[in-house]
Order: sequence, then C-alpha cells, then structure tokens
Amino acid sequence: MQWTNLLSWWQWGVLATVPPAIVLLYFLRLRRAPQEVPSTYLWLKSIEDLHVNSLWQRLRRSLLLFLQLLLLALLILALLGPSWRASALSGGRYVFLIDTSASMAAKDVAPTRLDEAKRRVAALLEEMRSGDVAMLVSFSDQARVEQPFTDNRHELRRRLAAIEQTAHRTSIAEALNVAAGLAGANSPGTDAETAAPANRPARAQMFIISDGKFADVTKASLSAVEPILQTIVGDGPRNVAITQLDARRKEGSLDVWQVFARVENFGPAAAPVQLDLYVDGNLADAQQVSVTPDKPTGVVFDLPDTEKASLELRAITGDHLDIDDRAWAVIDPPRRAKVVVVSRTPNEPLEFALSTESGQLLADTTYQSAAWLDTREYASQAAAGEFDLCIFDRCQPREMPQANTLFLGAIPPESTGWKSEPLADVPQIIDTDRAHPLMQLLELGDVLVREATPLVPPPGGTVLMHSSAGPLLAVAPRQGYEDAVLAFPIFDDDEVPTNWPLRLSFPLFTLNALEYLGGRGLDVTSRGAIGPGDNVTLEQVRTARQIEVKDPQARLVRVEPKEAVRPIFDGTDRLGIYEVLADGKVAERFTVNLFDPAESDIRPRVEAAVKLGQAEIQPGEATRPSRRHVWKFILLGTLGVLLAEWYIYHRRVYW
Amino acid sequence: MATAAQPLLSPELLARLERLELVSRKIFRGRMKGDRRSPRMGQSIEFADFRPYVPGDDLRFLDWNLYARLDRLFLKMFLEEEDLHLYLVIDASRSMGFGTPTKLEYAKQLAAALGFIGLIRSDRIKVEILGAPPGSQAPAFRGRASLWRLMEHLATIEPTGETDLAAGMKRFCLRNPGQGIVILLSDLLDKQGFEEGLRYLAARPVDAYVIQVLSAEELDPPLVGDLLLVDSEDGDKADVTVSAPLLKRYRKTLDTFLSSARDYCVRRGMTYLLATNQVPFDSLITGYLRSRGLVR
Repeated sequence: MQWTNLLSWWQWGVLATVPPAIVLLYFLRLRRAPQEVPSTYLWLKSIEDLHVNSLWQRLRRSLLLFLQLLLLALLILALLGPSWRASALSGGRYVFLIDTSASMAAKDVAPTRLDEAKRRVAALLEEMRSGDVAMLVSFSDQARVEQPFTDNRHELRRRLAAIEQTAHRTSIAEALNVAAGLAGANSPGTDAETAAPANRPARAQMFIISDGKFADVTKASLSAVEPILQTIVGDGPRNVAITQLDARRKEGSLDVWQVFARVENFGPAAAPVQLDLYVDGNLADAQQVSVTPDKPTGVVFDLPDTEKASLELRAITGDHLDIDDRAWAVIDPPRRAKVVVVSRTPNEPLEFALSTESGQLLADTTYQSAAWLDTREYASQAAAGEFDLCIFDRCQPREMPQANTLFLGAIPPESTGWKSEPLADVPQIIDTDRAHPLMQLLELGDVLVREATPLVPPPGGTVLMHSSAGPLLAVAPRQGYEDAVLAFPIFDDDEVPTNWPLRLSFPLFTLNALEYLGGRGLDVTSRGAIGPGDNVTLEQVRTARQIEVKDPQARLVRVEPKEAVRPIFDGTDRLGIYEVLADGKVAERFTVNLFDPAESDIRPRVEAAVKLGQAEIQPGEATRPSRRHVWKFILLGTLGVLLAEWYIYHRRVYW
Repeated sequence: MATAAQPLLSPELLARLERLELVSRKIFRGRMKGDRRSPRMGQSIEFADFRPYVPGDDLRFLDWNLYARLDRLFLKMFLEEEDLHLYLVIDASRSMGFGTPTKLEYAKQLAAALGFIGLIRSDRIKVEILGAPPGSQAPAFRGRASLWRLMEHLATIEPTGETDLAAGMKRFCLRNPGQGIVILLSDLLDKQGFEEGLRYLAARPVDAYVIQVLSAEELDPPLVGDLLLVDSEDGDKADVTVSAPLLKRYRKTLDTFLSSARDYCVRRGMTYLLATNQVPFDSLITGYLRSRGLVR
C-alpha cells in the first residue's frame, strides 16, 4: 500500500478543521427543542428498555454524526491517493498476437493449445483497466487483424472467441510487421490524445502467445512495441505425422501404382502406428509400422492400375496432434496433351507418327508453319502457356513458349544456353539412356544419321543419345519446363537425313515424347506439395468461362477467369482434396496437405529465447508490477455513505 | 379556558339529556326521599311483600283482611324510594390541560352532563376535584334548581398541580363514606401508577366508573426529531429522538397501559371507559355511555 499526497500542507490544514467542525455542529444541533407533553410517563416507559444498552443507544443516536465522520474519513482517504502494487497489465496499449498455426491444435494442453492461448488472452483482457486499448491479431503464415485497437472489452472478448484454428504453417514476420505498424500509428480509440506529435503513443505491449515454433525474425522493427512472449507447451507432447504422400506408377511396370508415404515421429519414444489407406473412401490397405523418433520411416502401398482415384492415408497414432494424421493424394486420368507442331515444311513422317491411334489418344495436335512463329497469336498463346508441348521442326522461335518443347534439327534460341557443335558427318549412335522415359523401349541400333550438329546442353541437361560425334539427343530443364533437342532433322524435302522414320523406334519415340513431354507424367507429384494457404495456379481451365473450386467440405468457391493469365486460387485453407470445375465439369484435382515437419514437431523449442529483430525475448510472465489506484472506489463508497445518510435523515429509520 | 365563553352544555343537549337517567347496578340506601328504589321497605305506594307481625311493628301496616280470613297477623310491606348519591371525581392536574378541546374541558362537559341527568332525577350530586385543597370542595347539589350552581362550580375548575391519584382517592374515600355511584374522570397518567388510587375505589361499596380521558396527541403523538420532552406536571425532562420505531414502541406501551387499566378495573368490578377528546361529546353520552349502561 502506498500513498500519494495530492494536497499541500495548508490544504491539509483546512481539511483537518472539518472533523472538529462537524462534531461541534453536531453538539450544537444536539440542543434538543424542548417540547411540553402532558406526561412523560409513557415516553419514559417506551424508552426504558432502550436505555438498557445505553452505549449502543448513544451510538445509535449519533448515527448521523458517525456517518458524516465516515464520509469525511473516506474523502480524506481518497485524497491520500492510496494505491498498491498489483500484478496487472500496465501500459495502456496492448497487442495480442495469437498463434493459430496447425501446431496450436495440439492437445498436450487441454483442450488445445489455441484454447489455452485464448484463455490466457481472455484473462489478460480482464485485467485491462478502463481506458486501456487492445488489438487482437491472429497469425499463422499470414497475419489477420481480428480487432483493431479498441477499449471495448466486450467486443474484444467476442472477437477473441471467434478466432479459429487454421491448418497453416507458422510465420510470425508478417504479424510482427502488422502489429508494429498499427501500434506505431495513432490508434483510432485514442486519437484525441495522441494526435499531437508531442504526444506520441507510448510503446504498446505486444503479447505473443504461441507455442514458439516459429523461426527467428531478424528483419523486424519493434520500436513501437514491447514484445512479451508467452509460450504454451504441455508436458511431453507426442506426435506422429505423415510428412509425405505420393502416388506414382511403379518403375518398370506402368500398370501398377505405388503410394509412398513418409511417417515421422516427433515424440520421445518409438510409437507404433497403423496406417490405413483409403481409396475413394474405402479401406484398401493397411500397414502397421513402428516409428522411431526423428527417423523418417517410408511406407509403400501397391495399388492396381487405375485411371482415377482419391487416396487418403490415415495414421492411427493416439498422439497430441490430429491435423497431420491424415494425408490425401489423387490419381487423375491422363489428359490429352495440347501439342503444336511447327514445321518449316510439312513433315510427313512426324505427322504420320502423331496421327496413330495411341498418338491421338494422348494428344490433341495442331500443325503450323514456321511463319506462324512471327505472328502475334503465337506470342500470346506461347506466353499464356496454351500448349503442353511445342514441337519445332527445323525452325526456332524467338521467344521460348511457356511449355515443354521438342526441337527436331534445330536448337532453342541462344538465351536458353543450348549450343551446337559444327556439323559432323555420319555420327554413329553409341549409347542411349534407356532409363529415361523418353527413351523407354527404343532400339536405335539400326538408325543411321547422315549428318548432325552435336549438342552442348545447358547446365543441368541430360544427354539421352550419345554418338561418335557427340550428344545427339538431350533434355534440359527450363523454368519448370523441359526442352528436348534432337541434333538432326527427321525429314527434309531435298534429301533423306536419316532412316529413323522408317524404323519402329520412331513412332515409339514420338509416343514417349507425347507422354513425357506432353504431360502424361503430370500425376500427383508433378504439382509439388501444396500446403494450406498456398496459392494454386489452375492449369486446365484455359477456355472455361466459369471456374469454381470445390473444397474438401464441398463448398464451391468461384474463381474469376482472366485473359492470358492462368487463374490463381488462394482458398486452400483446409486439408484435403480440391476439385477444379471448369464450366461445371471436373477439370483438375489437387490436394492440400500439411506435410510440414516444422509444424508437426510440437516439442518445445530447444532454446527458449526468440530473436525478434535486435531483441532476444525470453518467454515470461505477462503481467508486471503496477500501481492500482483505488480512489475511484473510495469515492463511490463515499457516495454510498452520503446516500445512506440522506435516507436515514429523511426517513428516520434508525432501526 | 373555553368555559366562560361557551356553556358546558348546550340547550339542545340538555333537552336530550333530560330523557336519560343514571343507572346503578347496585341498589343503595339513600339518606333522603328520592326517586330510587331503596333496599329498605318503606312507605311508597308500591306493594312489596307480606311478613308475620312481630310486636312493635307499626299497626298501620297490618293487613286486616288477612287477619279476618286467617286469624293471623300479617304485615304489609311497601317498597321504599330514596335518592342516589352520584360522585363526580375529576382529575384536574396539569396534564389534563392538554388537547383540543383540553381533556379537562372534555371531562367537565362529561361531568356536567352526568350531573344534569342526576339532578333532574333528584339525585345527590357531589363534585370532587382531585388534588384540590380541602376548602375548595363544593357542597352537594340536589334538585334541578341546583343545575346552574353545578355548572358554575365546574367552570371554575382549572388544571393545577400534579396527579396523585392515590392520595386524592384516599382523601375522597375518607370524606365520602357513603354508597352511590362514583365516576372518576382522569387520564390515569400517574407516575406512581393508577393501581393504588383505584384500589381505594374498589374497596368501597360503590358502583364505580372509571372514564379515562386521553387526547388525540397522546394516542398518536405528532412529534418527530430530537426533542427534549418536558413533563407538564413535575417538569421531568426526557431526551427523546422520535423515530418511526420509537413511535411504534410508544404505541405499544400505550396499548399495554390502556389494557392494563381496563383489566384492572374489570377485575375489580369497575366499569372502564376510554374517551378521547376526539369523540364528539354528545355522542359519547347518548351513545357510548348508554350502551355501557351508565345511563338509560
């Protein structure tokens, strides 16, 4: 308890004369008015028994005096400004950053870490004093201002309760920037006081309530806030997570699908896990594995060939985090690749090979002359990625298209890094890379080549056909696409450059090219893993007028189609299988999985301190000593005493 | 006092009172011939009984017809009529001087009315003032002609002195040993208690009426706040903070006081009446007292 003197000595002097004055006035008032009555006989009898307890009686008669003195005492008490050390919030402006990332769903703190975080914030909100303002920000990999600065505690509580668990990863940087930015600006609740630059708002206290599973942030300006970290981690969190799920055709046998899963254990001890694989909702396979901590375990399921399937893997673990115990994958039928063949002159053998039954099944082929390359149509379609595969027969575009390419008797523009060596006569094919999908089942021993310009692929390229003169066929990646270059033409008007078109291997090569470069390989793995919150570029909806995405809960989200740009879907908040509907038909499916060891690892951080900007923050208690002034309550009490006195005086209900 | 300006009894009331008479539940021996039946056999014209003749009896009352028929001597007896003694005992202490009209005024009116009823029935009226010096007591009044003397005497009564019911009643009883009706008009507010004084009355072979006169201010005090109550008789002072609970308690005390007075009287064969100065006087006489059997 501490006192704050609010008055000077002479003011106290004046105040000190008031109690004696009241007592004096009271005694003056006590000169009772004499009243003659016929007899005091009955009065004396009436007050006789009251006199038994005469001290109490006197007190009772002096009740008004006591009330007045009490009133004065309370006033003096209020003027003394009592206050005591309280472990309350101090600072007046608070920012609450609440982690809603996937790991906050862990149940090692009952009921969940997020609920515990909300409970703590609610408790802190209770400690706010009137006039304090607070802001609520939830963050996962993106920050969301749930409630800007306000002193409306009811609204804060309501917004706090509305904060939902997400499946996102953790990244605090954006939240820090948002919080620091908003805290530095004048908050709307206090702009009257803080409008003047001299009255810059005090540093807001920023409570980060998280499980601490975020990386240090070095680029953060925290001058406007004072971060306080509160970590929520229970005792001995256990978690076994599926961190990868792929479906691929089995190497060597194209009619068997293999489902690869990786399971990791983030607990203290080895844990048995049952993995159930559901295909289209039906249990198809199950395996029991024991996962040792920090040692990823691979699991493989074999599936019969299927055109289309939805796969879901469920791990029955009994751990603390459920969100990473399920993973999804889809197998979609190969779609017809969109192929354009640009020829300097019509190439009969190539057209013949492409027009086979298998070729038509795989690809939708159009033919253009080399002059088309200079048109605006090519420029726009190539840039928009209209095609899956462009075959350049003895010609070269100025700009590479947004597609896989196959160059026959030509090389890509120099900007791609491809080079060719001088013309070599009759190169002998020495070796081919038969393991590569392009070269599968090809027998090239009987192929003769008249002349070729051996290739020098750019870094990262793979030579598929070696000859005595140098590489004749190579592939190289280019910004997510692949370019395959054949060092000799297949066909020419004047002469026969090679006998390959007459061999069985040529149509096979063409089919391999359609399959591999045209997108047959586009199965679940080709998109790469999509995590919750990631943006997804919708590939297969070029011409659709209406694009909708059906999320795992069968809710439809409309996506606006855009000219020449592939639309982007950003509503991947839920885990599961999404269907892209173009004009009402399923055009594409993709899956969103957590697959984030950092989120699944719900164990506490190794080092407790977190580096934010320049500061290193230790997790600590939210409250700090402060002074709690009570004069308001004393004044309220004084008012109550005054009312009581008024009531007693007027009603004379002493009791 | 309003006595001088206003007659104690109005002519209309007198006319109504004329039809009334005092009733005694007991039959008393009077001293003089009056309108009342006497326990003694006497010389009225109303026959009462026969009795055998014993030597010495007045021969005038022998029933000669019976003697002729039965050859035995019987004496005829007649009822005797005598007067009734009515004592009006008025408490004229200072506490009676309160109220509007004052309690004393009210008591005097009551006394005048009852006295008037008695006078016109040839009863003997004696007015006794409690606490008054012995010399100031008036003689007895008798006959209708004495009405104005009675009124004048009543008008001279002023509230003085203290209530000492015991001493006053003792003196009254010593001075008036006879039988009759005694009507005590008092507020009974005696700090020594009314029991002592009433005991003297109870011991006498009289038909006693106690009419307690209280003012409205005593029944429901219009007081509030911190007061110094001064007793009008002995100047006794009491610090009182009048509050609702105290008033409640006062009323309780008053009720206890009144019921104890009534019980005391009823147990000792006295008739108790409570009269407040708010009850109109004539209705008290013609209604209330009639229903109580004092007059008829």
